[in-house]
Amino acid sequence: MITVVAVSGLATVQDGGRPGHMHEGVPPGGALVPELLARANAAVGNEEHAAGLEVFGAITLSGTATTLVASDDSVPVQLAAREPWRLLCAGARVRYVAVRGGIDVPKVFGGRGTLLAAGLGGHEGRALRQGDELRVGAPGSSHRPPLRSAPDLDAAIRVVPGPDLDLFEAGALDILLGSEFRVDARSDRTGIRLTGPRLQRVGDDLGASCPMVRGAIQVPPSGDPIVLGPDHPTTGGYPVLAAVVVACLGALGARPVGAAVRFVAVR
Amino acid sequence: MAVTLEPFGDTAWRARLPETGDGASRRALLEELRALPGVVDVVISECHALVVLAVGASPEGAREAIARTLAPRSASAPDAPTQPELREHRVLVRYDGADLAEVASASGMSSAEVVAIHAGTAYEVAAMGFLPGFAYLRALDPRLILPRRATPRPRVSALSVAIAGPYTGIYPFASPGGWHLLGTAVGFTPFDARTGAVMSLGDRVRFVAHTREAAP
Repeated sequence: MITVVAVSGLATVQDGGRPGHMHEGVPPGGALVPELLARANAAVGNEEHAAGLEVFGAITLSGTATTLVASDDSVPVQLAAREPWRLLCAGARVRYVAVRGGIDVPKVFGGRGTLLAAGLGGHEGRALRQGDELRVGAPGSSHRPPLRSAPDLDAAIRVVPGPDLDLFEAGALDILLGSEFRVDARSDRTGIRLTGPRLQRVGDDLGASCPMVRGAIQVPPSGDPIVLGPDHPTTGGYPVLAAVVVACLGALGARPVGAAVRFVAVR
Repeated sequence: MAVTLEPFGDTAWRARLPETGDGASRRALLEELRALPGVVDVVISECHALVVLAVGASPEGAREAIARTLAPRSASAPDAPTQPELREHRVLVRYDGADLAEVASASGMSSAEVVAIHAGTAYEVAAMGFLPGFAYLRALDPRLILPRRATPRPRVSALSVAIAGPYTGIYPFASPGGWHLLGTAVGFTPFDARTGAVMSLGDRVRFVAHTREAAP
């Protein structure tokens, strides 16, 4: 058992997501930065998608002396009964805590992660609060997968152009690929909002809502793009200029508010 | 006629669907696509099918099977889909929505007429999306077709029954929303925490006015 002694900002239980339910309107979920959750898990001998804590802000935890935790810096720490352990995002957008054995909340539709919009999964379907007590799973056979590297916060984010190129002005893709955007403070797990040069559309929103994927770069009438996150609505009404490749989702999600984002096309 | 698959990121394909498909054939398509090897998620909306592949699966390798499944075929073909089981849902509605009077005035009718028209139509689930369990229900009477509200509400209550464009729907959870609110579903949960979405693609839905509390 671990106890949440204090939280500032937003902390939720997250894991590898719950694929396979998008036809019911359930988004794929999963850690905003899968590489960082994997690093924390590897440090305590968990498999990379084991449920851990995703923290925007800071969290203080306590547990028994046998509880082994680690953050994404991958240094394991033994939690002692009376010594609270604090994780602070400081300059980072988001950080992760893994506990040996994983956070043992019920699996809901194939995942243990929290979907706040539906009050689903995680700890009682909600953000963690002071005083919450989280059960810890039985440690499996300890395995040490190769430690994944932390995402590169400066590299260009790779995208596949389209599929709604015909709903944009001819130069819109060039503007996306040739400009610098910045992560906006309104970003969350449903979408990363960017500001930068306006991406000019032709015509209105899509006539009917269309299926969406994580990483889709939707452009609302304002012209400021939104890159859909793990908890994105499974359908959306804004045209999509390009979509971020899966391998770059973490590198985008990890960028703090105000950080620069550049895109490069892969084909 | 060949089906064009457009890449949507590096692990998904999107295809435009013919507008003619009925509920049963659209549901059959959903189930067939979901059963293809390497496919983890399928979303079918009014005009598109999205097929998401497992990370590590080869999108090119899955392309042919997806295109074949999407290709129009005759009912006598050996791989014709089996008829899916579509359900019919009856949903009680208390027509107490904040926008009922405004919808009535915009469509030149009384509130009672709006209720009679909305509850007098058999709808079909045209797509699932937006939120877990949310169904875009089509066949809204053309007299009730209105654009979304100019300014979305920051919070619409769970179980609100609303209309926008050619659709009506039931909000499964409280959320921001730009649809016009006609009422509140009574004794109906669009998303069950154990079993998932209650309505599925192609299902029929009827609204029944909850008269006991409908009088002013």
